[in-house]
Amino acid sequence: MTGDSRITRRRFLGGVAGGGAAVLGGGRLAEALAAKSAPAVIQGGGKLTYWGGLIFSDEANQLLVDTINAWGKENGIETEVVMINQNETNQKVSAAVESGTMPDALDMGLDLLLLLSNTDQLVPLDDLYDRIGQAHGGWYESIDASASLFPGGRTGIPFGSSGNLLFSRRDVLEAKGLTPPPQTWQEVSDWSAQAQDPPLYGMGFALSNVGDGNLQISVLQSYGGRIADDEGKTVTIKSEETREYLQWVSDAYKAGLFPPGVTTWDGAGDNQAYLSGQAIFIANTGSVYLTAKEDDPELEAATHYAPLPAGPKGRISPINPNFRAIPKTSRDVEAAKALIEYLANPEFMEAYYNVAIYGPVLKGYEGFEVFTNPVHSGLLDLVKNGTAPGAPDVYNTAFADFSANFIVPKMVQRVVIDGVSLDDAMDEAQQQGQAIYDKYK
Amino acid sequence: MAVIASRRPTERRVLLTFARRNALWGYLFVLPACAILLGLVAYPFFYAIFISFTSRVVGDPGEWVGLANFRYLFGWSSFTKAVRNTIVLVVVSDILKLVIGLGLALILNERIRGRGLFRSFMLLPWAMPAFVAFLTWRLLFMPIGGGINLLLSESGLYTDIIDWLGQRSTAMPAVIIATVWRGFPFWCISFLAALQTVPSELYEAAKIDGANAWQRFLAVTLPSIRQVILIVVLLSSIWTANSFENIWIMTQGGPSDATMVFPVLAYFGMQSQRLGEAAAVSVAMIPVLALLVIVVTTLMREDEA
Repeated sequence: MTGDSRITRRRFLGGVAGGGAAVLGGGRLAEALAAKSAPAVIQGGGKLTYWGGLIFSDEANQLLVDTINAWGKENGIETEVVMINQNETNQKVSAAVESGTMPDALDMGLDLLLLLSNTDQLVPLDDLYDRIGQAHGGWYESIDASASLFPGGRTGIPFGSSGNLLFSRRDVLEAKGLTPPPQTWQEVSDWSAQAQDPPLYGMGFALSNVGDGNLQISVLQSYGGRIADDEGKTVTIKSEETREYLQWVSDAYKAGLFPPGVTTWDGAGDNQAYLSGQAIFIANTGSVYLTAKEDDPELEAATHYAPLPAGPKGRISPINPNFRAIPKTSRDVEAAKALIEYLANPEFMEAYYNVAIYGPVLKGYEGFEVFTNPVHSGLLDLVKNGTAPGAPDVYNTAFADFSANFIVPKMVQRVVIDGVSLDDAMDEAQQQGQAIYDKYK
Repeated sequence: MAVIASRRPTERRVLLTFARRNALWGYLFVLPACAILLGLVAYPFFYAIFISFTSRVVGDPGEWVGLANFRYLFGWSSFTKAVRNTIVLVVVSDILKLVIGLGLALILNERIRGRGLFRSFMLLPWAMPAFVAFLTWRLLFMPIGGGINLLLSESGLYTDIIDWLGQRSTAMPAVIIATVWRGFPFWCISFLAALQTVPSELYEAAKIDGANAWQRFLAVTLPSIRQVILIVVLLSSIWTANSFENIWIMTQGGPSDATMVFPVLAYFGMQSQRLGEAAAVSVAMIPVLALLVIVVTTLMREDEA
């Protein structure tokens, strides 16, 4: 699951997680935290506006709001926290940039950070990045690589990492003598064929025009396929490796291993399929775990969590870090920096990770107890062993645009829906992909 | 006589001044409307056209790129499909909405029991938020657990699973059904209002002349409400061509661009913050819609003449 789809799930699950009592408890915790740690530097003054990314946990959202407000109160700064539905962050930020009404600091995903960095909208934060890293045990290598992708320095401070884990129905698989997790994508399809019993299907992976569909980029890459060359300029999608991947996915589709409807699933398609007992395998960042834990403990207990399987050429399991950033139009850059530095303190982050499904970004957070539960430990493992965003391809604006146009899921759709040959589907994807990459040359 | 002759130019001057003053007041009253039209309609419209010729992205005004955005767009296979799908969606939806809307309006115009109740119920799809309506239709069309497949299998009509939204042959018809369901009440209520203005004497005269029901419909009803039909066709066509929620919620333009339309294509452009390209998609729709507006207004003028 990619960032986009995770957001959609958050919408889907928005009403499920969280409770009023916990929220009130979070408020008291925030005040205690604010009193405990003072910010490094405060200059300027006046109202500081922060746009937080709304996630599926009400407790986590409220904790962030309360903590920022308590920090402001403690330091004599008026704060305003606006929680933005992450489905709308792109549109809201676009409008704010064009109208000059950006907040003083905000949360965002890697794609938006890349776009805004390329148009020089964000304050370079190398000094803050280094200071926070040194204070909390250093950044994980994969996180550091993600934060250092852009020319002109680091413009975002990571605070949490997402990424897909493979959810498997242990009960169904073990009944067939199969012990999860499957090690390869081929095993996923083979095991699906053995264990599925419609309406319980094997492979609950979206092949549609939503963020989830871009999981197929990682699968393609694990088969050795590449989107573009090492320079990130010439599209190289047409290859024997891509053909092998397409053959695998096409065979699995024709064998009826995907639940019906995967070619038009929305972002909550795999959640619904897994929670309603229609899929043995899904790729998910953890929202399904939270819902199952709350509403269907038996299903949660019967689920095995593991990193994504490998392809013939290796395991591609990308991390998806989230950042805090400061627009150049911020009225008080120093106060915004102080707030971001404050928000990295372990007391707040431990409380936050307890109620939000994120992996750690700093090594100093590794000892938090939350990283012993199944999904959080999986995300910790992903941060340590996962691949950088886009890797082995170059993560640049062309790659982000390529992903936003769902070229790989559409290539699969051409084969499984329209029945075009693998060569024709690859030719079309190659031509469309190159047209996108050419725009950025 | 001399006195009268000497007063005439003065009277004319007074009259001219009054007329001029009247005209000035007229212009003054029209001015706010003109300013609003210029500021809220003309300026954004022409500015969007200008942007479509630039490489503008969010935060960067870009530069003049001529027809580059359009060349890119016309070479994009999804664009060709979006043109075809948008036309199919608009034409088929309009025909179905016309038939259903007019049929129901004719029934609801008769003196039947519970007419007021039926008229109120008929408005429900139109009153329902689009998001809720299309999400409901998406759930109804779901292959497993969806209401339509359940109905077919429970009634024994068809027991296999039909992936309504996931196959090329059924995706667009499914979207059209949902679009028609949500849109027909506007047609129906407009026709109903128009039908109530048709003088009953015309029907009585036609009856005396020996016209049967079908002939009365063709010779009296249709010509009498023709203007309303044309306006409703024009408005509904523009709304349907610009509709986003129906496609986005039900299929996201898939499978394999089988339901890709202009607004969804523009949305993909916006996701990359490439405003020039997104504007080009919207601008590319203008000639088609302009043609429709010209045809309909010409027909209306012919009627007036």
